[in-house]
Order: sequence, then structure tokens, then C-alpha cells
Amino acid sequence: MAALLELNNICKRFGNVQALNDVSLHVAKGETVAIIGPSGSGKSTLLRSVNYLEKITSGEIIINGRTLVTSPQGKPEYLPEKEIRRICSEIGMIFQHFNLFPHMTALANITYAPIKVKKQPADEATAEAKRLLEMVGLADKAERYPAQLSGGQKQRVAIARGLAMQPELMLFDEPTSALDPEITGEVLNVMKTLAEQRMTMLVVTHEMGFAREVADRVIFMADGSIIEQGSPRDIFDNPQSERLKNFLSSVIHN
Amino acid sequence: MDFLADFTDWLSANLNYAELILPSLLKGTLMTIKVFLVTLIFSIPLGLPLALGSESRWWPIRWFCRFYVFIFRGTPLMLQLFFVYFILPIYTGLMIDAVTSAMITFVLNYAAYLSEIYRGGIKSIDRGQYEAAACLGLSRTQTICGIVLPQMIRVVLPAVGNEMITLVKDTSLVYALGVTELLKASRAAVNRDGNLMAYLLAAIIYLILTFALTKLQSYLEKRFSRHEQRSE
Repeated sequence: MAALLELNNICKRFGNVQALNDVSLHVAKGETVAIIGPSGSGKSTLLRSVNYLEKITSGEIIINGRTLVTSPQGKPEYLPEKEIRRICSEIGMIFQHFNLFPHMTALANITYAPIKVKKQPADEATAEAKRLLEMVGLADKAERYPAQLSGGQKQRVAIARGLAMQPELMLFDEPTSALDPEITGEVLNVMKTLAEQRMTMLVVTHEMGFAREVADRVIFMADGSIIEQGSPRDIFDNPQSERLKNFLSSVIHN
Repeated sequence: MDFLADFTDWLSANLNYAELILPSLLKGTLMTIKVFLVTLIFSIPLGLPLALGSESRWWPIRWFCRFYVFIFRGTPLMLQLFFVYFILPIYTGLMIDAVTSAMITFVLNYAAYLSEIYRGGIKSIDRGQYEAAACLGLSRTQTICGIVLPQMIRVVLPAVGNEMITLVKDTSLVYALGVTELLKASRAAVNRDGNLMAYLLAAIIYLILTFALTKLQSYLEKRFSRHEQRSE
């Protein structure tokens, strides 16, 4: 299968801290990849590099055959800003803290970008938004403002907002970390449905249950590098490295 | 009985006097309102490009906007009035009448203060909002106009309202250019008649104006924070 996303030799430094150290990762179309690892391991930085929220120090990012950035002389050469914006608008991003627009209703949150960026007619965008709200189980909350929604509902609206741009790839940056444990399920269920529909997803998560059940492949990162990767079964039932064994036992014992 | 009669006499004399001087005070009030409204209408939008410019990535724009704010915040408003009305014509030959110079100065001065309020409002907006906008492919202009400004307005409303109430009272400074507004009109009456009633009336008129503004402000605040109410 052709890779939808290619990350080659990604390095990222914040001052003296090497956040990503020569990370390479290919994600095939339709694949769900979960990234796990201790905090500070560079998982979020890697995810945020994909859609230009972080500028990499060196390396190459290819999305759906288009080279976003490459580093022929060891220095990153990005596409022009406008091109990047167009490519990134086809990548959905889900944040830990939702980042819904508080002054817009759930519906307006979803339709704003399709109307403004994709120039979709308003009635078409609205119909699509309603369909997406129904898919995430919030058809009755279209006219609510984010302040009137629970955390889990906000995150589901955020997922609908991302899907409204008809992305090729969805990125999830710890989508359930800000939620109470008893409501993470409603968000994870939506993500599971997406995975079953063969949406390509890259998910940074602390939900080991989700990684095990839903992911096609699990990546374990520590200290800015990929330490181990494989099927959920390989990673959870047959960890090879000491780091992963320690990490899993610490997560499970908590 | 005597006392009551005295009191009625006193009251009617005062009311008659108040009625006598009220037209000139109201004429002054009109000028006060005129300067106020012109300043409000022009300085509120003018502050915005200054605020955005102060954070511009392009240094000449940033430098100009910050210097502008430095000058207009760093010198007394009265001095700025003198500059525009007395000193500018000497060097440029540009003659502007007193009322217009006063209005220009007020607009320029208040735009500087408002731009700093706006800047604070813009800075208060969470970085996640910009990130979400960028991920959805919104352009810089779309992000500013559609995401940042609507949220900023709610944040800055109380401070802007405060500034506008200060403005009502600051308009009295235009007397320095010989323009007759409310305060000057009442002072003229006091000096002429040796009766302090005009000051009392002026105070009441200022209070009515600021009261109306306070009401308008709280209406706007409610209107712009509807989305924060937790239930329908």
C-alpha cells in the first residue's frame, strides 16, 4: 500500500533540547497508527510537525505525494506558506483542549472553514455539518455554544469540525487527556468508527485500551526516538526493549 | 407657615434661575456630545490597525505604531491640543478651526489608548485558537476577522467603556482652544452671576451622559457574552 504520510529522518531541537532525533515513520492509506510513550518523549511534537504547528530542524515530510518540507542541505526547505496552508487544510487536527471557537455555535464551528476556505455554498456546508453532528451523536446540539457542552461533547464537535474539511488524514493529539475518565468512551467510540471506515489516523494517546483494540500499528517513543513498533499484540504482549517493558508496567500499575 | 413660604420662594427663585441659564448650558452640552461622538466613531476603529501594527512582523510598521502610541500616551492631551491648533499652522501653514483641531487631536489621542487596550485583548486569546484556525487552513485575515476580533471585542468592552466615560469628561479640555462646551458655558454663568447653580447643573448633565453610556456598555457586554451562558 502506498504511504499517505512519509516522515523521513525528522529532527527537532528546542534550544538545547533534542525533541525529535532522526524519526522516520510511514503511514499507509487507511491505517490507524497509535503513538504511545512517556511524557516528554516527543510524540506530540512529531504529530504537530506533520501539519506545520512545529517547524522541524531537519528532515522530510511528504503528504499524499506532495513534499511539504525537505532538507537537501541539512536545512529545512518548506513550500510557500500558501501551499502549506492548502495541504494542511486537508489534514484534520484534534487537540487535547478541543480549541473550539467559543463565539460560534457547534454548527458554525463546523461550517466556518468549509465555507471560508473551500468556498462551499452555505446550505451545502450546513447539510454536511448536520450529517457529521449526527454521526458523532450530537444532532440535537447544533445550536449550542461550546460553553454549553460537556468536554466529551466538545471533543466530538471538534472531530466533526475536522471531518468537515474532508481530510485525507486525521491527527489526534491526546484527544481524551482533558476528559473525565467516565466520558472518554464517547470520544473513543467515534474514533473507533472512523478507524472502521478506514480513515487514515495518527493518534497520540495514553489510552492503552484504544491503542490495543483499534490501532493497526503501535509506535512506542521515548527520548525523541521510536524505540519499538509493531502490531498491538507485539507491543503489548511481547515487548522487546527494557524501556517499553518499564513503560507498560508503569502504565498498567497506575 | 413662614418657613414654608420662605422655602417656596427660594425654590422658585432657583428654578427660575436654572431655567434662565439652562439653554446656554444645553448648547454647551451639544458641543460636548459632538466632540465625544466624533472621537468615539473615529478612534474606536482607528485603534485597531494600530494594535495589529504594534504586533506586526514587519518592523517599520511595528516601529511606527509603537512610536505613535509612545508619543500620544507620553504627552498631556492639553499639550497635544496646543500643538495641533497653535503650533502646526505656524510650520505648515495649515489653518484648522478650533473645533476641528480639537476633534482631530482627540481622535489621535484616544486611538493610541484604545490600541493598547485592543492589543491586550488580542494577547489574551488562547494560542490554541490560532492553531485550530491554522489547521483548518484559514488565512491570516480570516483568522483575525473571524476568530480573533469577535473574541477580542468581548474582552475589551469593559475597558473601552471605561475609556469612553473618561472621554466624556476629557472633552472639557477643548475650552483651552476657546471652544464653548458644557464646562465653559457653566463657568461663564457662574462668573457672570456669582451663583454656583450652573456647576450643579453641569454635574447633573455629565452624570446623565455617563449614566447613559454605562447602560449602553452593560447592554453590549451582555450581547457579546451570550455564548458564555451555560444554559439556553
